[in-house]
Amino acid sequence: MQEKIIKYIEELSSEEIDESIEATEDLLGSGILDSLGMMKLIAFLEEEFCCKVLPEEMVIENFMTVLHITDYLETKLVEKQ
Amino acid sequence: MDFSWTQKQIEFKKEVIDFAKTNLGTTYIEEDYNCKFSKKDWKACADFGLLGLSVPKKYSNQKEEVDVLSAILAMEALGYGCKDNGLPFAMNAQMWTVQTPIAHFGTEAQKDKFLPKLTSGEWIASHALTEPEAGSDVFSMQTTATKTDGGYILNGKKHLITLGPICDFALVFAVTNPKVGKWGLSVFLVEKGTEGFTVSPNKAKMGLRTVPIGDLTFTDCFVKEENRLGAEGAGWSITNHSLELDRCSVHASQVGAMERQLEQSITYVKKRKQFGKSVGRFQSVSNRIADMKLRLETSKLLLYKVAWLKSQGKPAMLEGAMLKLQISENFVNSSIDAIRNHGGYGYLVENEVERDLRDAVGGVIYAGTSDIQRNIISQIIGL
Ligand SMILES: Cc1cc2nc3c(=O)[nH]c(=O)nc-3n(C[C@H](O)[C@H](O)[C@H](O)COP(=O)(O)OP(=O)(O)OC[C@H]3O[C@@H](n4cnc5c(N)ncnc54)[C@H](O)[C@@H]3O)c2cc1C
Repeated sequence: MQEKIIKYIEELSSEEIDESIEATEDLLGSGILDSLGMMKLIAFLEEEFCCKVLPEEMVIENFMTVLHITDYLETKLVEKQ
Repeated sequence: MDFSWTQKQIEFKKEVIDFAKTNLGTTYIEEDYNCKFSKKDWKACADFGLLGLSVPKKYSNQKEEVDVLSAILAMEALGYGCKDNGLPFAMNAQMWTVQTPIAHFGTEAQKDKFLPKLTSGEWIASHALTEPEAGSDVFSMQTTATKTDGGYILNGKKHLITLGPICDFALVFAVTNPKVGKWGLSVFLVEKGTEGFTVSPNKAKMGLRTVPIGDLTFTDCFVKEENRLGAEGAGWSITNHSLELDRCSVHASQVGAMERQLEQSITYVKKRKQFGKSVGRFQSVSNRIADMKLRLETSKLLLYKVAWLKSQGKPAMLEGAMLKLQISENFVNSSIDAIRNHGGYGYLVENEVERDLRDAVGGVIYAGTSDIQRNIISQIIGL
């Protein structure tokens, strides 16, 4: 899951960043993703992992870094089962 | 693929048109000239149930839940039936950028306190995001909300706020944690009369002159914790939440206005005779009518597609940006064509043709300029 997400973000922001991104890097805050990039990432996650990200879940606790995203998605996918 | 509307939706659209034609102003020349807001029209729309279309029926006077497609169609009908573009524009601003976020992110107490008063037309509210130094780059906003005992202290200024000068409360975005950038924005419901909260008088504008627009200033303004909307840091999500629906609905009214404009143009160019025949017989004029029809139909296609995507709970980032760009620019172009078709008659204020053009220009600026929509489109498709 983590690799897929990192790969997608790297594709999205290939012109902004030269090096590969770490799972602990702040995505929106550090400018790796802009607002639209974050919305695209969320749309990708919904499609790829067949889940619905609720608007109230789009907060720093769930989306700050790739690590936060994977934790959030894992909990969400467990809840779905 | 099915492009048809249900019988019920068609009847609802007709009802809204009939309502607008019989209950709203027959002329807006004086209101436009004097920048006068019509509270009477606002209330009439509320009583008819239009303001309640963006929230569950529990908070409005709707008899049954209205689906997104019907709500959008109703706003198109209002744009067609109401001669004033300002009224639907202002209503949409409140409906989708104040009511919908409260309905979604609000506590039960907030929903019960604010929504019935808004949908009934008793209260009016504004959505305050833009600042003097933060327009297109809105996330660079400088208004701050500093945590204190029992609430927050707001400081800063909001700019170009629709309904701001007459609002009973404002939904205000402010920075609560500057260290985390876009994640550090929160939203507050700031009520009129709160110490430290002032509004400017209505500003004179090129168009949409029936809508009061102005600045909001916060000077050491204490807002109780219970008036924070959503969690701390939910500001970014709240800005995105109803953006696509807002775009659909506000531009639905422009589509309705374009339909009215086209019908008016056709009637006029058939009746007006020069060189012994109807001016509509001259190909230069009929070409313009064809272009207006094409703009109307392409606008409708985009509008209905986005409305359909939203009705299916699907994202519509790309389509929403294309809709905003296409419809707002089409409305400007068709408004100029409508004036050309009417000749000097169209240029005179008293005939209420030229006002559409002045009103239309706001549409290529508010809620993200056309340049910004082009940026979004090109970015989404891979640039
Ligand atoms: C009628 C009306 C009603 C409004 N109502 C509200 C409201 O209720 N609440 C609210 O918060 N705001 C409201 N606004 C403000 C509106 O959202 C802003 O005007 C809009 O976002 C543009 O910001 P700006 O005016 O500061 O222009 P600027 O951002 O200063 O733009 C100036 C020019 O630069 C261009 N530009 C800027 N950045 C870029 C870029 N990255 N790429 C290409 N071009 C760029 C713009 O397209 C424009 O041509 C309203 C505006 C109008 C006209």
